[in-house]
Order: sequence, then structure tokens, then C-alpha cells
Amino acid sequence: MRPVLAIVTAELRRFLRDRSNLFFVFIFPLVLVLVIGAQFGSGATAGKVAVAGESGAMVAALTTQLESDGLVVTSGSREDVLEQVSRGRAAVAVLVPDGAGAAFAAGRPVTLEVVPGSASNALAVQQRVRGAVDVLQLDQAQLAALTGRGVAAPAARAAVDAARDQVTGPATRVENVDALAREFQGVGQFDVGAASQLLLFTFLTSLAGSATLIQARRHGVIARTMAAPVSSAQVLLGQAGGRLVIALAQGIYIVVATSVLFGVDWGNLWLTGLVLLVFGAVSAGLAMVLGSLVDNEGAAGGLGVGLGLVLAGLGGGMVPLEVFSDTLRGVAHVTPHAWAYEAFAEIQRRDGTLVDVLPQLGVLTAMAVAALAVGAWALRRSLARAM
Amino acid sequence: MRTDGATAEPTGRGDVLVVDHLVRRFGDLTAVDGVSFRIAAGETYGLLGPNGAGKTTIISMVAGLIAPDEGTVTVAGEQMGRTAVAPKRHIGLVPQDLAVYPELTARENLVLFGRLQGMTGPQLTARVAEVTELIGLTGRAKDPTKEYSGGMKRRLNIGIGLLHRPTLLILDEPTVGVDPQSRNQILESVERLSVEGMAVLYTTHYMEEAERLCDRIGIIDSGVLQAEGTRDELVRLTGAVDHIRLSGTGDTHAAAEALRALPSVSQVDVDRRELRLTVGDAPSAVAQVVTRATDAGMSLADVEITRPDLESVFLHLTGKALRD
Repeated sequence: MRPVLAIVTAELRRFLRDRSNLFFVFIFPLVLVLVIGAQFGSGATAGKVAVAGESGAMVAALTTQLESDGLVVTSGSREDVLEQVSRGRAAVAVLVPDGAGAAFAAGRPVTLEVVPGSASNALAVQQRVRGAVDVLQLDQAQLAALTGRGVAAPAARAAVDAARDQVTGPATRVENVDALAREFQGVGQFDVGAASQLLLFTFLTSLAGSATLIQARRHGVIARTMAAPVSSAQVLLGQAGGRLVIALAQGIYIVVATSVLFGVDWGNLWLTGLVLLVFGAVSAGLAMVLGSLVDNEGAAGGLGVGLGLVLAGLGGGMVPLEVFSDTLRGVAHVTPHAWAYEAFAEIQRRDGTLVDVLPQLGVLTAMAVAALAVGAWALRRSLARAM
Repeated sequence: MRTDGATAEPTGRGDVLVVDHLVRRFGDLTAVDGVSFRIAAGETYGLLGPNGAGKTTIISMVAGLIAPDEGTVTVAGEQMGRTAVAPKRHIGLVPQDLAVYPELTARENLVLFGRLQGMTGPQLTARVAEVTELIGLTGRAKDPTKEYSGGMKRRLNIGIGLLHRPTLLILDEPTVGVDPQSRNQILESVERLSVEGMAVLYTTHYMEEAERLCDRIGIIDSGVLQAEGTRDELVRLTGAVDHIRLSGTGDTHAAAEALRALPSVSQVDVDRRELRLTVGDAPSAVAQVVTRATDAGMSLADVEITRPDLESVFLHLTGKALRD
């Protein structure tokens, strides 16, 4: 074990001596989580309504009604709210025409323009906007009826409010039967993006280890190490262990930072750590295979990034696996990302336990063992290739 | 001395390394073909040959980095194998590459390889300090090695090999690309190690280094050990002899007569103010030759010794120059 720890320590020192590593491992992932979460997070437009037009009693009443229904209301110019909808920052825009407030107060018909966005929940939000308008219309009709009977306006208002408090009408619940929407129901804005970025970056960081292994081989350090009384498996475990520790540190950092900064709910943190550990072992093992088979650092760097992006894209590290067709989801399971993604989904969204994620952990462990075994064999062969 | 691929005879001084009929092929190329030699404790054995002769492949098999297709390597009585760990404890390897991590300091590199050799705690700390001093890097021990000069890196490379006090030190072309001052320091270090009883396997394509350092030399070419022996034994293979040339004024004929009487001198040729002597061993005979010529009335202006070297041995054995 001592030789392994000695190599791990040396690898960590090498990593820390290169300041650029710190940016790519600790700062860049968070920036990406923020950007992706803000722009494309599934919860980013949940229940957000942008209202444009003259302010007044009607708009104030509509806003109060929408907010009481749990929607988030922002206001702005017509151009602003339309842009918010087009960019996905609001689910629905409500455009109030000039003079609408006065017409509404006078009991005349008013037409509000509702512009839905392209988010999956836009139709549901649009429906809730209509419900809020219906409530306003009902209120207005009741007030008109009472004042028409000679009740003073303030008394009529009080009567309508009292009546509303006393009567519990039928509640409506908008339920989205779309499987995708149900899967992400209740999931925070950054939750899915954070898990995906965690997989993407820990894998990329680990694969970067292939270049450091090639450097060590090129410098003759690996040959010298293997001339010491240690086995090739120990050498490989030390090299892979260094990358694993770095990936774990990065993963834990992303988990903590996204929890604190973006309120990401990771579920059971111990299980999250366990999935991260096994996924990191697979990544480190693959880095050792790449670093032993390829002799050029530049080529390994390019291959590593390419492989990292392709596997992440295929395995749910960029687009949620749930969006994939059944066939593509089957193919995705050749990647460690897909198994880790599913384990995170189980833990984050369904409060999964160790038993629930055992299949994913088992497959990832088998992948890690296979990668490390192939890496040890390839590393040994690389010495003869260097002759 | 031997000039074929036969099994090497025991040195009679406790063999630290026994290499027996090593063969290694890479595809159709036989890089090492039936190489055998032995090294005793305190002996420096040189493998002299041009680039591509098979020296590094032999070293890699001796160090257990690659497996031979045929033959065996035994280090301090333990047989080396690809997965063998025990015999590696006896070996200190100084590869041709500067096998150090450039991002780490000299001290960190030494600690790493010390730990890999099983050293720990105060023993490791003390030995690292000792070796750092030995290789003259105490003042720079905490600097990253990428900031070192080529010579400093070479010295560190050797220091790592010495760290665990190996029984057998393997140096693979340790002076390649080194400035003359550092080169001399390295050669002096190797001479000291031999005196201290360490067995040294030294590969080089510099014949001067082989002549200076090695007790015995194996001439290798195209993967075949062409001959091995002491320098003098190898030189004798060529049939060439030592010469001493004396030039000056005075009675050169009288001096020639006096010198012909010396048992170490087999022939004297006179050419006006110059005498050309054929001798058995020029370095041991020169003092007596100079005294006798002076006593005979010759006033010497110049004395020059010419000896056949390993270059001529290599040429004799392989038909090509060492640096071809």
C-alpha cells in the first residue's frame, strides 16, 4: 500500500503545481452549472409570468391573483417581456393594452393578450393565467351586481371578499401527464444540470490524467518506478489513485458549492459520494488505459476531451437521458455516465437508498475493475514498446 | 577473456549479476542475441557499443522491465522475472532518460523513489539529506527540477539510483548531453562507488569512459556480445602494440642503443631527431625510457605515447567504427 500512496502523493503534488488545473477543476464547472441552470434548467421557467402594460388596479389585482396561485410575476415593457418568453426566462407573457384598466373598472370588455413560450410547462402556466383572469372577471361581475342593486362600492367590495372567504369552491389541480414532465416534477432549477456537469467534469478531469501518465512514461519515470520493488498493478493504482483523488475532490467541491450557491438538492450525500467514488474509479481507469496505449500527450489530450464529450453526450451528461428514445437509452448504457446519471436521478429525485442504486454501483464497479486491469496490462506493454 | 557467446565463467569474487544467454526479439528483429556476462561485487563492467547495439534492451531485462524471450538474469542470487519484486531490491537503475518528475523538487523526487524502495521515516529523511549532499544539490533541493541545468538533473538521476544503497548499480549512458565538468563529477562518483564495493553495470558509446571506469568491458554490436575482457585483453585481440615517440636534440643514436637494451622495449626506429619505440605497456615503461634516453645524452623536447584503444578493438571485431 505504501508504494501506491507514495505515487498518489507525487501525482497530487504534480497536479497542484500547475495553477491552470485549479481553474478548470474548481471554477469552470461552477460557471457552467450556473449558465446552463439559468438558461436551460428545467425549472427555470416554472410558473414564471411576465406582465407588460399600464399599471393600475386591474394589473395589481391580476398580479395578486397569480401570486396567490404560486406563480412568479415580473413586469416590464412589451419588448422586455416578449424577450423573456423567447429566451425561456418566463413561461408566459401577458400583454395589457392601454386603457384596459379603465375599461375593466367601467365594466366594459377587456382583451388581454397571452403569449406562451416554448417551455414544456407553458401550456399549464397559460391555463393558470386564464384561471386568474376568470377570478378577476367573476369578482368584477359580482361587484357590478351588488352596486347595481344599490349597494355602495366599498360595502360591495367587502361583501365579495367576505363571500370568497366563506365559500370553498372546487379546487383545480393541473397535472402534467407527460412522462418527461412528471420525471422532473419538483426538481430544482439547477439539480439536473449540476449532476450532469458533475459527471462531465470529473470524467474530463480524470481523462486529463492520461497526459500526465504519458509525460511520466516519456520522462522515463514509469520505467524507473517499475524497476523498483513494486508490481505494475501498484504503479497503475498509484497513478489512477492520484486522478481518483482529484476527481473526488472536484466532485465534492461541486456538490458542496452547488448546494450552497444554487440550492441543489443532492439527496443522500453519502450515497452521492459513493456513486462519485465508483464513477471516478472508472474514469481514472480509462485514463490509465488511454495513457498507456497512446504515446503522444497532444493526441491523448484531444482523444480524452473528445471521448469525454461524446460519452457525456451519449450518457446523459449534457442532455437528460429521459429525453432519449428507448433505443438510444439502451446504447447510452455502454457509458459509465448513463449508469451514474441514473444513480444520481434515483438519489436526487426519488430519495433512493443504497439498495436502489446497487445495480448501477455494481456495473460501475465492474467497469472500473476492467479498466484498471486493461490499464495495467497496457502499461506493462508500453515499456517494451518504448525499446 | 572470451570472444563468443558462451556462458560466462564465474568471476570467482561473488557474482552479483549473472546474465545467461539472454535473447530478446521485437518482431523480426533480434535486438539481443544470446548475451551472457557476470559482474562481481566491486567490479565495474562496461557494455560498449554504438547506439542501437542492444545495450538498453539488455539493461531493461536486467532491471526486470521487460522479459527476455530466452535466457535468465540472476541478481544477488535471486532470479529476475517480469513480476519478480525481490531481486529488484538489489538494483539501482539510472536510466538514460532524466527519469525525474520536473514539477517536483529534488527532495520530493528522492523521497518518492525512496518510498518505492521501502524506505520510511527518519531513515529515509537522513538518506535523502545524505544523497542530496553527495550529488551537490543541497542548496537547490527545494527547487522544482525543471529549473535545474542538464548536469544537475543528471546528478539527481544518479542520486535516485544510489538512494537505497543497491548491490548493483545500473547506469545507462549517464553522461549523454552533459557538460564536461558535470561529466567528470559523474565519472568520479562511479569510481568511488566501485571502490566502496558496489557492482556497476555501465553502458556507454564513449570509449574513453569505458577505458577510464571499467574493470572489464563487453563489446556489443547488433545485439551480440562480440568480446569481453579487460581493456588490455581486448586490445591484444587486435595485435596492435604501444608506441613511445621521443623527439629532441643530442645523440639520438646513442640513446637508441641504450633503449634497445631495455627489456620492455621490443623495437627502436631512428628518424633524425626522433626515436619511435615499440613497447609492451607504454604507461609503465615511459619513465624508464625517458631516464635512459636522457642518460645517453639526448635532450628531450617532446614525449608522446600512442596506444591502441577500444575504438580499434571495435573496428577489429565488427569491421566498423564505434560511432557509425
